[in-house]
Amino acid sequence: MYFRSLLGVALLLIGIPLFADYPEEQRHYWKVVKPIFDENCNRACHNADDKKGGLNLNQFDFILSIQRRGEVFLRVIEHVENGTMPPDNKRPLTTTEKDTLLFYIKKYISDALEKPDPGLITARRLSNREYEYAIEDLTGVIVKTDSLLPRDPGGGEGFDNFSGTLYITPLLMERYFEISESVIQQMYGDPQLWQRHVPSNSFSIFQKIKHWWYAWIYKQDLAHEATLDNAREAIGSFGTLAFRRYLSPAERDKYLSFFEQVYQSVPEKENRYDLAIQEVLKAVLVSNHFLIRQEADPPLKDPYPISSFELATRMSAFLWCSIPDTELLEAAYRGDLRDPELLRHQVRRMLKDPRAKRMAESFVSQWLEIDNLVQPEFEMDQELFPEFSPDLRTSMYGETVEYFYYTLNDSRNFLELLNGRYTFLNEALAEHYGVEGVQGDELRKVDLVTPERGGILGMASVLTTTSLPNRTSPVLRGKWVMEKVLSTPPKPPPPNVPDLETTREIHDEFTLREALVIHREDPACFGCHQDMDDLGFALENFDAIGRWRTKYNNSPKPIDVSGSLKSGEHFAGAAELREILNTKQEQFAKAISRKMLGFALGRSIQFKDTKTIESLSNSLIENRFDPLPFIEEVVLSYPFQYKKTDKVVVDHNVGDDV
Amino acid sequence: MKSWYISRRKALKGLGASVALPFLQAMIPPGVRAENFMEKYRPQRLAVFYFPNGVREDHWTPGQVGRQFDMSPTLKPLEPYKKDLLILGQLKNNLVDVKGTDGHYTKTAPFLTCRLIEKTTGANIDVKGTSMDQIIAGHVGKETRFPSLEYGLDPVKGGVDELVGYTRLYGSSISWESPTRPRPKEVNPRFAFDRLFRNFVPGVTPKKENPWKKSVVDLVLEDAKNLNRQLGAADQNKMAEYLESVRSIEKRLDSTDDLKDFEANITPDIKKELIRLNVRLNDYIELNSGVDATEKVRLMMDINALALWSDATRVTTFMFGNSVSNRSFSFLDGVEGGHHSISHHRGHPQRIEMYGKINIWHSEQFRYFLDRVSTMKEGDQSLLDNSIVLYGSSLRDGDKHRASNLPIVIAGSGGGKLDTGQNIIYQEDTPLANLYLTLLQTMDVPTHSFADSTGTLEGIRV
Repeated sequence: MYFRSLLGVALLLIGIPLFADYPEEQRHYWKVVKPIFDENCNRACHNADDKKGGLNLNQFDFILSIQRRGEVFLRVIEHVENGTMPPDNKRPLTTTEKDTLLFYIKKYISDALEKPDPGLITARRLSNREYEYAIEDLTGVIVKTDSLLPRDPGGGEGFDNFSGTLYITPLLMERYFEISESVIQQMYGDPQLWQRHVPSNSFSIFQKIKHWWYAWIYKQDLAHEATLDNAREAIGSFGTLAFRRYLSPAERDKYLSFFEQVYQSVPEKENRYDLAIQEVLKAVLVSNHFLIRQEADPPLKDPYPISSFELATRMSAFLWCSIPDTELLEAAYRGDLRDPELLRHQVRRMLKDPRAKRMAESFVSQWLEIDNLVQPEFEMDQELFPEFSPDLRTSMYGETVEYFYYTLNDSRNFLELLNGRYTFLNEALAEHYGVEGVQGDELRKVDLVTPERGGILGMASVLTTTSLPNRTSPVLRGKWVMEKVLSTPPKPPPPNVPDLETTREIHDEFTLREALVIHREDPACFGCHQDMDDLGFALENFDAIGRWRTKYNNSPKPIDVSGSLKSGEHFAGAAELREILNTKQEQFAKAISRKMLGFALGRSIQFKDTKTIESLSNSLIENRFDPLPFIEEVVLSYPFQYKKTDKVVVDHNVGDDV
Repeated sequence: MKSWYISRRKALKGLGASVALPFLQAMIPPGVRAENFMEKYRPQRLAVFYFPNGVREDHWTPGQVGRQFDMSPTLKPLEPYKKDLLILGQLKNNLVDVKGTDGHYTKTAPFLTCRLIEKTTGANIDVKGTSMDQIIAGHVGKETRFPSLEYGLDPVKGGVDELVGYTRLYGSSISWESPTRPRPKEVNPRFAFDRLFRNFVPGVTPKKENPWKKSVVDLVLEDAKNLNRQLGAADQNKMAEYLESVRSIEKRLDSTDDLKDFEANITPDIKKELIRLNVRLNDYIELNSGVDATEKVRLMMDINALALWSDATRVTTFMFGNSVSNRSFSFLDGVEGGHHSISHHRGHPQRIEMYGKINIWHSEQFRYFLDRVSTMKEGDQSLLDNSIVLYGSSLRDGDKHRASNLPIVIAGSGGGKLDTGQNIIYQEDTPLANLYLTLLQTMDVPTHSFADSTGTLEGIRV
């Protein structure tokens, strides 16, 4: 014991480098820059105890830690430059202090961005959505996992493909086994699907004679060898797609010997070849190589480009929410994906493929957070809104998906998400919107002749999911616009201020504006609510399920939909707001870029992605919001093409412990 | 860990064979004579019921303390079980009730862990501790088919709450088997039922197990183990999750004896229940209501109760809703709007009224569970007698988001170990962790502390 603590002290002594061992810049930070923080920012407010504004500046002892949390220091720079920090009641910084601070913080940050960093992408299982589509593309069998599998949480940029929250659990595994059995049975039940991977193992009369002859003369079982060849072929065809790479000979042999084991066990069965193949395919569907997307982790310190097959898998997950098809795998095999032009060609091909609609749906429904609509636990007050039927909610959801897909594939203009003069309606939704002449259940493109609606801000899906069950919420809608369109999500309310507008004595919508005006008198709330509330009020002509109205139920006066933004623009109502948002293209481009990259990578966007986001939004603006070159750029981007290995690399020997 | 007694199922089997087996002595706890072993040994169970958004304060705590008290309006539906209840006041989830944290997510995930969670949109999920139910499951879970079962009314809520910067997963999970891994909850009553009982419902053809399943398991395990590559830390964790999950299937396939043992637990009484419940599940699905929250809760509670009664598991949790749940309660008379919105009543009488009604609905559903478990007989006792049932929320007043003076009720005495029938109000800010420490010890988990516990709760142990 005593010895051990001595050892600990010794290690500690060796472990801590001396001041002089640190690089010159770090020492300079401690001597010159850090004291300015300590004196002016940390001592009274931004320390571990007070954490004013949620910020503890005391913890940044190293330049590296500043570089890691660059987004925090961008705010620091902003406040110091604008003179909003230190606040009026504190001593202002001297000119020297201010200049020194700004110069060095900016330098640290730009230094950090110089070094490209692809971020960490770790092994993750297929999301339920990807699992369904992968099964469909692989076997042709459609499975609905909706209530069968525990629902995927979400994380990162808000998408369900985020590795950190995609757990594998015994319950999930049980269900994977069940699904694999029923899927393979269904596949076998449909000869067309079955024979895509498993051609029949029958032999012509001449082959049979040959087999008989060889068996008799040379004592050689040609029939069995041929059967094994066929099985090897079938397993290879299925396994390659499932594992997103070619099977190693050892893997193939392992599956083949399992085939043989089953095959030999049922000599009496006429369809024993198919029976044995079935068991092998079931095993493929519960293999980690199918269920988990895992890229190699070579023990390298610096980032490295991922392999062609890994790239193909990233692409198919991004653009199809599924596994690669044969063409993409072959392109990977040929090395085509290393050539930017051929890579772009593949992206364009994949976007044209109907499977791209899955990406459209997955992305837009999660980005705009309208996916709630198709989940049974989402409810509106049935007495107030009896019209809000399952059909209507599905149509609302469908409108947005169709619309997004159209801007992606047909009009090729993401700006129409804000300003389009058309939408997608079926009879139910057209009636809901008061548009005449649309019949049937099918959603189809309809030109809008009146100015009320247009773009996502006029869609019932968005308007409903940003409402409360019994009434509209201008605050939620305003927040939504700031987040989704303007890329300036409001900060969380200060601690112990309860959820604002729901807290006021609001009996009905009529008194909303009045209540919010009082709320805004509090300077703590004003900063964010000024824009947030006004953006929301501009949409008050839409009720809680997105119907047009000019008055509240209980009031003869027209609804006041006027407002203004901090940046100076005035507007009244949805149409004028649309015009103004249309001028905020840079912000909108940034919003889409951030979300699209987050979706493509399945991770959070971090400070180190700043340059990638910048260049992606520039490409959107330069190409007038054409999604094609934009998505090509996403695929070509550094974090999509590169990877770095997790800090701890260990020899994988999980199997040895049991 | 008391390793000297053998599980009840194994005991039953042993007794069926011959009482005179020499090893019988080994499974009798000291002080229990052999002839009344079966009488005395009833496994203890734990069931937790969590509801979101707190309670109407003035209608929760009964006016008088001690054994003579009148039920409060919110707890009125539990009146018939007064003598089985412990109503505990002034417990506080100390570590999470701090300034500057979010109102809901930071309180829901730690409901059973009592520690402050890591703020994250999903990359570093960490609740800093294992939840109380899972510690118990780790202790008693090996005896049963499932170490624990987790149920809920709503599935995990997806995405990130960007306003506050938390993944909504935190608001959807109270059971944490490790600081970084929540237990998945089942929300579909049909699947939850089938998972446990499908093969035991009289008149329903059992599902035939694929005879090759075992070989499939072996093959993929073999394949995954031989993955002779170097893996980063996160990737290795993912592989470990996978292997562990496949092994759990392997284990269940290997233990066909256990399944037979379990079948022995399905008494004629349980069979009757299974038939009835199966029909109700069919009705529920045919009507495809999905909207009838009351019936869905009750189905889940029936499954929950039967899981405990049949000894499929000894630990369950149930979430009435996720954090910030805005479930529309307009189906209740006099209520209009969503749960979360209404909980922010801001002192407005009409809203408080509605808030109270929603609370009472929850109490009524809890009462339904108590009705069920109190009629499930175990010898001359009931399942309720042998259980500890915790009912509560992670907030007091939903308008204030405070985790002090939490609404917490315990039902059942855990096999006569808790002194029920009291309304106790503790000193202000008594750690909620003290209750959990008490429960852990009541369930024979050898431990002396839990999170910020300062000791056990006085006055509730017999």
